[in-house]
Amino acid sequence: MGFFRLITGEEDIGRGPFFWGVFLLLVATFFAIPAFLTEFEAYNISFYLLNIPMALGLCLLWGYCGVLSFGQVAYFGIAGYVYGIIAGNMVGHPFGPLIGSLGGLAAAALIAGIFGYFVFYARVQNWIVPILTLVLTLLLETFLGQTAGYQWRVGAVQLGGYNGMTGIPSFQLGPMVFFGFSFFYYVLILVLICYLACRMLVNARFGKVLLAIREDPLRTEMLGYDIRFRQWLTFVLAAVLAGISGLLYVQWGNYITPTQVGLLQAALPVIWVAVGGREKLFAVLVATYALNWLNYTLASQGNQYALVIIGALLVIVMVFFPRGIIVTVADWLRQRRRQAA
Amino acid sequence: MDEVALITSVLYQFGTNAAFLLLAALGLIVILGMMNIINLAHGELMMLGAYVATMAFQQGAPFWLAVVLSFIVVGLFGALLERLIVRRFYGRELGALVVTWGISLILAQGTLLLLGPFMPAIPIPGGSFALGPYSFSAYWIALIVISVLVIVALWWLYNRTEIGLQARATMQNAAMARALGVDTGRIYMLTFSLGAGLAGMSGALMAPTTSIQPFMGQQFVAPAFITVVVGGATNVIAGALGSSLLLSLVKTPVGFWLGAFLGTVALLLAALVIIRLMPDGISAALQRRLDRSAGRS
Repeated sequence: MGFFRLITGEEDIGRGPFFWGVFLLLVATFFAIPAFLTEFEAYNISFYLLNIPMALGLCLLWGYCGVLSFGQVAYFGIAGYVYGIIAGNMVGHPFGPLIGSLGGLAAAALIAGIFGYFVFYARVQNWIVPILTLVLTLLLETFLGQTAGYQWRVGAVQLGGYNGMTGIPSFQLGPMVFFGFSFFYYVLILVLICYLACRMLVNARFGKVLLAIREDPLRTEMLGYDIRFRQWLTFVLAAVLAGISGLLYVQWGNYITPTQVGLLQAALPVIWVAVGGREKLFAVLVATYALNWLNYTLASQGNQYALVIIGALLVIVMVFFPRGIIVTVADWLRQRRRQAA
Repeated sequence: MDEVALITSVLYQFGTNAAFLLLAALGLIVILGMMNIINLAHGELMMLGAYVATMAFQQGAPFWLAVVLSFIVVGLFGALLERLIVRRFYGRELGALVVTWGISLILAQGTLLLLGPFMPAIPIPGGSFALGPYSFSAYWIALIVISVLVIVALWWLYNRTEIGLQARATMQNAAMARALGVDTGRIYMLTFSLGAGLAGMSGALMAPTTSIQPFMGQQFVAPAFITVVVGGATNVIAGALGSSLLLSLVKTPVGFWLGAFLGTVALLLAALVIIRLMPDGISAALQRRLDRSAGRS
């Protein structure tokens, strides 16, 4: 019963049977995709899905906790590169990729933990976190960009400078290697777990305190909650979620380049979250999927206007739909249904 | 003689680093201090300044005129941005951050589409001279002098003019200033325009020292924002000056021995440590000390 209440709690869009009916139908459709789409198309859909954990992490951090980060791609990149190094050195070992995945997530959490300690325990002002995370991202890109050459080699793996790291092993559990349809299912299940876990988290006691911190940090602190620790923990959690996306990305494409932690990539999670509506997890989930599809379609046509379009989208949403497009639409729908009833 | 040359060289390095940080951050810190808005399009405004200066220079304008022109053109552009977009985000810090980031993406990519990936460089004005084994660029020394002059001019503007008085009143308590008849909307527009103009001017001044391309703004993002974070927003001039001098103290030796990239990494680490000790930046710490000594006397 407790589980049920957490899952349908009030801190996200959709609580009634109508929402859950549509949701289950959607999930069922996704699970049935291999029956009517080719392996290539399922592979593309895996790509639209795999960014969702990173977006959910930013949604928790920005929408629920009131801390904005421009540097989620840094943790995405750290997890991806560390996975590449560990798994690339353990080729042939049946559990190498699993160890690599855990290592990648641990590295992302560690860096976020150290960085977050300085930022949150100093109680800096609101605007400093996004700035410093952006700087961290830019530095990481610069660092990775100059790792071309033979001296930048960890065991058998070359970091590769701007050409990136290639030949990263796919995910594997014992004898089972994940690619094609099995990789699609792996991504789909992982994303579902991330979403439902986030949803439970925001409806649990911890989530309520996060909302209180967002609304009034001082008052929350006066009520006896250690806001520094909670902000720090949310920051690390968001980094781990970004790390999951990073892992899925390198397991999907088997390569990663420093561009993945560059300025344009850093802008993307912020846009997914802002366009969907930062205060609702489900809105962010839908927006991330839709915008990834849009971005992939634009980019695959070699569209040089991609950055301008993305920038303009950001400005338009922030000026006209400050709460996000999907949240605005959902509110409008609910009002109409209420009036009809 | 050699010791004199070495000391001069170290001082020169220190001065150029501080001048670079100061020029890169000045427009940003003016806007932040007054309006509590972080302008993430700052690097792109510097890029626009560099483009304006380069184009003017190619039309035959002398370099100083090109710099003045960039100040004016980018300042006007800033006023336009403030009226159209930024105005809607007063009091919403994070919203302002995101929207100015969107503007910066449009500006950088738009410049690339309109003007192409490269602009011919401006030659560095002035020559260089040698002292012992070290050589010094006259232009960078001029930049150090110019940054000092700009700080003096800002101090004069804030402390000796009617507009400056109104601006400080608005900064301290906007509602009260409005009640006393200060047109705070106009003050905000002027401030944003001034900040943008300073960014454009800095971009023009830096133009001869770097390659001019649409994404050149990115290279200023890290140093400028670190300087602002360390400086804080309590007192614009003290913050900019204090933090650029302090950070230069960190960057000069690291950059000298370990290279430019690690110099920037050292900046970030120094910033993390400094904000751990002084969360509101150097300017707040300085201001507290000033207030305390004023109270004692």
